[in-house]
Amino acid sequence: MPVEIVATEGLGCSYREGCVLEDISFTVTAGDYVGIVGPNGSGKSTLVQALLGLVPVSSGAARLFGSRCDGFNQWGRVGYLPQSLHLLNPVFPATVAEVVGLGLLSLKSFPRRFTRHDRNTVDALLEELGIYDIRTKLIGELSGGQQQRVLLARAMVNEPELLILDEPTAALDPETRQRFYQMIADINRTRGVTVLLVTHDTGVIGQHASKMLYLDKRMLFYGSFEDFCHSPEMSSLFGEHSQHLMCHRH
Amino acid sequence: MRTLLLIVLSLTAMAVAGLTGCTRGEQQASTKLQVVTTLFPLFDFARIIAGERAEVTMLLPPGMEPHSFEPKPNDIIRISKSGLFIYTSRYMEPWAETILKGTDRRSLRVVDAGQGVSYLKGSAEVGHDHAGHGDHGTDDHAAGMDPHIWLDFSNAVVIVNNILTGFVAADPANAPLYRDNAAALNARLADLDRRYREGLSSCASRTFLHGGHYTFGYLARRYGLEYRSLSGISSESEPSAAKMAAMVRQIRSSGVRYLFAEELLSPRLTETLAGEAGVEVLKLHGAHNLGKDDVQRGIGFIELMEQNLANLQKGLACRSK
Amino acid sequence: MNILEILSYGFIQRALLAGTLIAVLCSVLGVFLVLRRLSLIGDGLAHVTFGSTAIALAFKLYSAASLLVSLPVVLLASLGILKLTEKARLSGDAAIGIVSAVGISAGIMLASVGGGYNVDLLSYLFGNILSITYEEVLIAAGLFCVVMLLLGLFFNDLLAITFNEGLARVSGVRTNLINAVLVMLTALSVVLAMKLVGIMLISSLLILPAVSALQLARSFKACIALAALQGCCSVVAGIFVSFLTNLPTSATIVMLNLLFFGASCGLRRLLGAKSSS
Ligand SMILES: [Zn+2]
Repeated sequence: MPVEIVATEGLGCSYREGCVLEDISFTVTAGDYVGIVGPNGSGKSTLVQALLGLVPVSSGAARLFGSRCDGFNQWGRVGYLPQSLHLLNPVFPATVAEVVGLGLLSLKSFPRRFTRHDRNTVDALLEELGIYDIRTKLIGELSGGQQQRVLLARAMVNEPELLILDEPTAALDPETRQRFYQMIADINRTRGVTVLLVTHDTGVIGQHASKMLYLDKRMLFYGSFEDFCHSPEMSSLFGEHSQHLMCHRH
Repeated sequence: MRTLLLIVLSLTAMAVAGLTGCTRGEQQASTKLQVVTTLFPLFDFARIIAGERAEVTMLLPPGMEPHSFEPKPNDIIRISKSGLFIYTSRYMEPWAETILKGTDRRSLRVVDAGQGVSYLKGSAEVGHDHAGHGDHGTDDHAAGMDPHIWLDFSNAVVIVNNILTGFVAADPANAPLYRDNAAALNARLADLDRRYREGLSSCASRTFLHGGHYTFGYLARRYGLEYRSLSGISSESEPSAAKMAAMVRQIRSSGVRYLFAEELLSPRLTETLAGEAGVEVLKLHGAHNLGKDDVQRGIGFIELMEQNLANLQKGLACRSK
Repeated sequence: MNILEILSYGFIQRALLAGTLIAVLCSVLGVFLVLRRLSLIGDGLAHVTFGSTAIALAFKLYSAASLLVSLPVVLLASLGILKLTEKARLSGDAAIGIVSAVGISAGIMLASVGGGYNVDLLSYLFGNILSITYEEVLIAAGLFCVVMLLLGLFFNDLLAITFNEGLARVSGVRTNLINAVLVMLTALSVVLAMKLVGIMLISSLLILPAVSALQLARSFKACIALAALQGCCSVVAGIFVSFLTNLPTSATIVMLNLLFFGASCGLRRLLGAKSSS
C-alpha cells in the first residue's frame, strides 16, 4: 500500500477570490514525481498554493501527509519554491546564505535561532548546488538563474519529503533548464523525495516525471506520461501531430 | 508633521467657532452691537466697556496658543458679520490687515487697539548678547516690535481708550454708558499699576527669568526689572541645546530661586531648566488666551495680573508693604 | 566649549541616554517597516495618538495619564492597519492613510464637541529631546529592553515574513502573529517616544537610518546594525552640533540623518563604480 503524500477531493476555489479551480481530485503517493502542466491561466500555481494553504479553498478538501491543509503544521516535511518573478524586492538586503537559512525555520520551534550546525548544513547544500561562491552576495544582485537556484536551495535545505516547485525553470536558458530537470530527477530518485513541479514545458517534463497532471481549471488528465501520450482526450486537445511531437521529441 | 497637525487643529478651531457662532447668531437676533476680539485682554476690556449693551466674543478658541493662530474662513465670516472688530496690532495679528481689505468697511468698524501705545523692540533672549532690552538695533524681523503691549498697564489704558472710541463710533446711542464703564476700568488699571509699582519696589532680586517665549518685556520695562526668556517672541521655535545650557548658567549666576513658566503650553522645558538649576517653578500668566476652565469661571484680566503680582513678589523675594 | 562641560548638564546626559535608546529601537524597527512598505506607519500612528490625546485632554488627563487612553487606542489602530492590508487587500500606505484619517477626525470631532481645552493640545502632544526627565529615561530603557528582547526572539521569523510572507508561512512561521508583534512594537514605540522626543524625530528615525543602511548593507544583519549605528550617531552628534551651532536639536538630528543618507547614496555609487570597472 503506497503512502499518500498529497490528496485532494473535489477541490475548488471561487472566482471571487481570484481563483479558478473546479472539482480537482487526485492522489500523490511517496516517491512520485508529478508534472503539473496546462496553458497559461489554467490555475497551476493556484493549485499548489491551495495545497499549501496560501489561497482559500471554497469547496472540497486537500490533505498533506494525511492531515487537512488548513490545520497542517508539519512544515518541516515540505519544501516550496514559488514563482520567482513575483517574489523579489531587488533591494532586499539579505545574503544568499541568509535566504537559504530561512528554509530551516520549519524545523525549529520558538525561539527560532540558528546554530553553527545550521550554518554548516546551509554551506554544504550551497556547495552541492554549486552556488557556494555566491553565498555572501545579496539575493537582489543575482541573475534570474542564480536566484532560482538559491530559492531551490532554500526549499531543499530542510530535507523535505515533499518538494513543490512552481515554474522553477522560467528564468533559465535551455541548457541550464535541462540540467535543472536532471537535478530534480536525481533528488527524486536518490533521496526518494516526492516532487510536484508546475511548468508549461510539457514535453521536457514528460522525460522526467513519473506522472502528469493536465490542468485547465478542471483536471483533464492525471496519470503516467505513457498514458498521457496515448490518451485520446489529449489527442483531441492537442491534435495527433503535436501530441506525437511532445511525446517523442528526443 | 507639525504643520499638518496645526492645520488639523485649525480645522478643529473652525468647527468650534462655527458651532458657537451659529448658536449665538440664532439666539441673538437682537439689534445689539456684535463685537469680535482676538486676544483675551481685548475681549475682557471690551466686555467690561460693553456692559449689557453689546455682545462681545473672542476669536481664539480656549486653550489655543495665540502666536500660531490664523483665522479660518468661518472666523472671517464672523468678523465681517460683526459691527466692531478689535485686534491688538499688526505685530500680533499680521493677518488682520489683509483680511480687512476684503471686508465691507461701511458696516464694520475696526479697532487697532495698539494705536498710540509705546512699543518695545525685539527681545532679550538668553544667548543673545545682553545689549539690554529696548534697543535691539540688529533685529531680524522687519517690523520686530514686541506684541505683548497689554502687559504695560499704561499701554492697557491706551488700549481701553482705543476700544472705547470704537464702541462710541459704532453705537453712539450708548456712548455715555460706554464712557462710564471705560473710565471705571481705567481707574482699576491705574490702581493695578500703583500696586505693581509699590509691590515690586523693594525686592531682594530685580531679575526674573522665564522658561517660555519672550512675553514680559513691557512689564519689566515699566517696573525696572531685568527679564530674560528661553525663547524669542514667537513661541514656535524650538530652543537649541546651547540656549538651554545658557539659560541654566544664567539662572545659576543670577542667583534667582524661581523660574517662571508660561500659561497654556506644556511646561516641560521650564521644568527641565528648573530641575537642572535647582530652582522652583512659578506660573506667570501672559494673558494672551485662557484655558477652558478659566473661561467658564469668567476670570478677568485684572485678576490674572493680581495672581502674577503675587507670584512675582514671591519669586523676587519682595517685602510686602 | 569642551565636551566635559557639555556633558555636565543633566538634561544633556538624559537626552543622550534616552535619545540613543529610542534611536536604536526606531532604526531597527524601521528596517522591517521600510522593507514591508509600512514606512509611514509612524506618521499614521502619530495622528491616532493626536486623536486619542484629544480624548485624554477632554477628560483632563495630562502627559503621563494620557497614555492610559493613547496606548490601547494606538495599539488597536496598528492592528487595524494590519487587518486592512490583509482583509481588504489594501496596500500599506492606503491602510495607514485610512487609519490616520480616522484618528484625526475623531480628534477634531471631540475637540469641537468639547469646545476648546485648558491647554494647547499640540504642545502637550510632543516631547522635546532636551526635556526628558529621569523617569522617562527609565521608560525609554524599559521600552528598549522590551522591543530588543522581542526582536531578538522573533528575529528570524521577522526576517522570513519581511522576505516573503507566503514562503514564511510554508516555513511554519505564524505570519499573523509576527505581523502583529511588529506593528504593536511600532505602536508602543511611537506612543511613548512621541511624548519623549517628539514625532518629527520618531518618524525620521523610523525611515532615514533604514534607507541609508539599505544603500550599503551587504547582509540583513549588517543592515540592522548599520541602521542602529546611524540612528545612534545622529542623536549623539546632533546633540553636540546643536550645542555648538545653537540650532534646534531635533531638527539638527533629522538633518544629520539626511546627510548620512546622502553620504550612503554617494558611497554606494562610488563602490558600485569601483566594482563594475
Ligand atoms: Zn506671546
